[in-house]
Amino acid sequence: MGAAKQAVQVDVGDETDVPVIEHAPSERETTRKILPIVEGVVLLAALLAPLVLQDYLTVFATRVIILALFALSFDLVWGYAGIMSFGQALFFGSAGYGVALLARDLDITNIFLVLPAGTLIGLTFALLLGGFLLLGRHPSSVIFVSLGTLTGSYAADRLARGWYYLGGQNGIPSIAPMSLGGYDFTEGPAFYYLVLGILVVVYLLCRFLVRSQFGLALAGLRENEQRIAFFGYKAQHLKAIIFTVGGAIAGLAGSLYAFHEGFVWPNMVGVVVSTQVVLYVLFGGSGTLIGAVIGTVIVEGVSFWLSDNYRDIWPIILGLLLLLVILFRPLGLISFVLGERERVGSFGAKIKEKRNAAP
Amino acid sequence: MANAFVAAFEILSFGAIIVLIVLGLGIIASMMGIFNFAQGEFVLLGAYITYLAYAKGLPIWAGMVAAPFVVGALGFVLEALIIRRFYAAPIVAMLGTYALGLIIRESVRGLIGGFYLTVPEPIGGSIDIGAMHISAWRFTIIVITLLVMGGCYLLLSRTSFGLRVRATLENPSLARASGISTPLIYGATFAFGAALAGLAGALIVPVFSLFADLGLRFLIQGFVAVMVGGVGSFIGPVAGAGVIGTLSAALPWVMAPVVADVLVFVLAIVFIKFRPQGLIAGKGV
Repeated sequence: MGAAKQAVQVDVGDETDVPVIEHAPSERETTRKILPIVEGVVLLAALLAPLVLQDYLTVFATRVIILALFALSFDLVWGYAGIMSFGQALFFGSAGYGVALLARDLDITNIFLVLPAGTLIGLTFALLLGGFLLLGRHPSSVIFVSLGTLTGSYAADRLARGWYYLGGQNGIPSIAPMSLGGYDFTEGPAFYYLVLGILVVVYLLCRFLVRSQFGLALAGLRENEQRIAFFGYKAQHLKAIIFTVGGAIAGLAGSLYAFHEGFVWPNMVGVVVSTQVVLYVLFGGSGTLIGAVIGTVIVEGVSFWLSDNYRDIWPIILGLLLLLVILFRPLGLISFVLGERERVGSFGAKIKEKRNAAP
Repeated sequence: MANAFVAAFEILSFGAIIVLIVLGLGIIASMMGIFNFAQGEFVLLGAYITYLAYAKGLPIWAGMVAAPFVVGALGFVLEALIIRRFYAAPIVAMLGTYALGLIIRESVRGLIGGFYLTVPEPIGGSIDIGAMHISAWRFTIIVITLLVMGGCYLLLSRTSFGLRVRATLENPSLARASGISTPLIYGATFAFGAALAGLAGALIVPVFSLFADLGLRFLIQGFVAVMVGGVGSFIGPVAGAGVIGTLSAALPWVMAPVVADVLVFVLAIVFIKFRPQGLIAGKGV
């Protein structure tokens, strides 16, 4: 336990220290850019983690990284486009079930087949559900979308619990490990770095996406949907697109999770996991990609650390903390180090932002 | 014939339970515009108070009578301290009440452990009609549901309190200008909704037994019922609850329970998509 405690403290310590560090001036602007520093520190910590952690903690860290990938998908949908998806686990879990079935019934465990398959499953489900909920002649209300996704996730949970083919209450146990040629990815550093690599790639893609013109339209959607519609954007289409992208990332995370844990069970598609991911992102700070990652690490890390001694009261503390964050820090923990200006960020090609000071 | 009668009674009694649970949820959603994720936990608290009274050796009736008052008082306090801050943003309200619900649920889980605790029915036995037997307690629930429903309707439509609540819903600033204390009305409405949930919990605990996830089970069904019925009126959510409750209880008689379970939700979402205003549109009672 000692190591876990240290690891968590070191992580948290690094992040709170960030503003104090005197940093070499960045390539442009006189204002200090904090976001790249935070991202760099987190990446460095993640790269070094398996070297200092014991084996069983590396396994835990792998799980956290996968969940961070999942949190990223929710952040994209809620933090950037303002779509409250209370059913993100539907895509996570259905992809998990999908690849578990591939491995169980068809003996397909090749990494180049299962990961795209999982991503595709998440994408398809998100396209279907998102298309149904978001598109249509009349724009759907926020409440309808959030409750619709919640209901979808709950219904999937009930279906997984009751359907014998999917293993019922017990889910699908002992999934064969993911393979590459003759090599099997089992829990450990190799799996960790694989997952970390995927997270970094997806993170960079997301970062590119939200800093593009498309991202600007999304941010407008979040702030004032009607105005974006009046500008001539097809607001509902934008929403459906980002929802689908989020679903695909959740699917990727879900398939990794299924192979890492070696089993899938109904909770994975259900309300429990759906709300868990909301917690991660709210804690860390929605609307910043790194906030989602940090939130996941903190919530999971503290929960792991406390689970030995305070297993019973931890969820209560979590609820209290969440309430405090919602009431007093609606932008999440990241807002302690990240200013509003930088959170909103700049969009599009770089030449523009040099001339245009106004956001 | 006997079978059909028993089935009809089962469907009716489950429908009544859903209506009872949705009443409070519907009043809070319609009159305040908040989808209260902690409502399931208010139900759980009502059930827990009843269990507590039973465990302490008090008559179960005493617990059932106390439950709505205790939960209502708690609702009033929570509204004044926390919920009040969420009125401007419905999504934030969902998240905030979810956090509240998490706190209550896990506290109760800590208190009762991971067990299923049973509470006996205060009115045991069965009512015999010829060769058919129906549970006396379930019958009592149906009767109480009807009474509570009628009472709520009269309270909202015929009393000056109801008038103030509706005025606050319709036009808050005009209501304030007319000398109605809207914060007090919101507090009272929320407390009333919470009290109804407490009552529901107290009444259903003999049927479902007490466990920490008791409320969660009904929460989503309740939300769907409110949406199907239509937000904004008192009668809408009740109608929605009737439909959802009846469907959830009736469909398993004609198809596999798993399919029926999921089908109810799918049908409900499709219905809401194409009729967003719900079964009964418009504001009022």
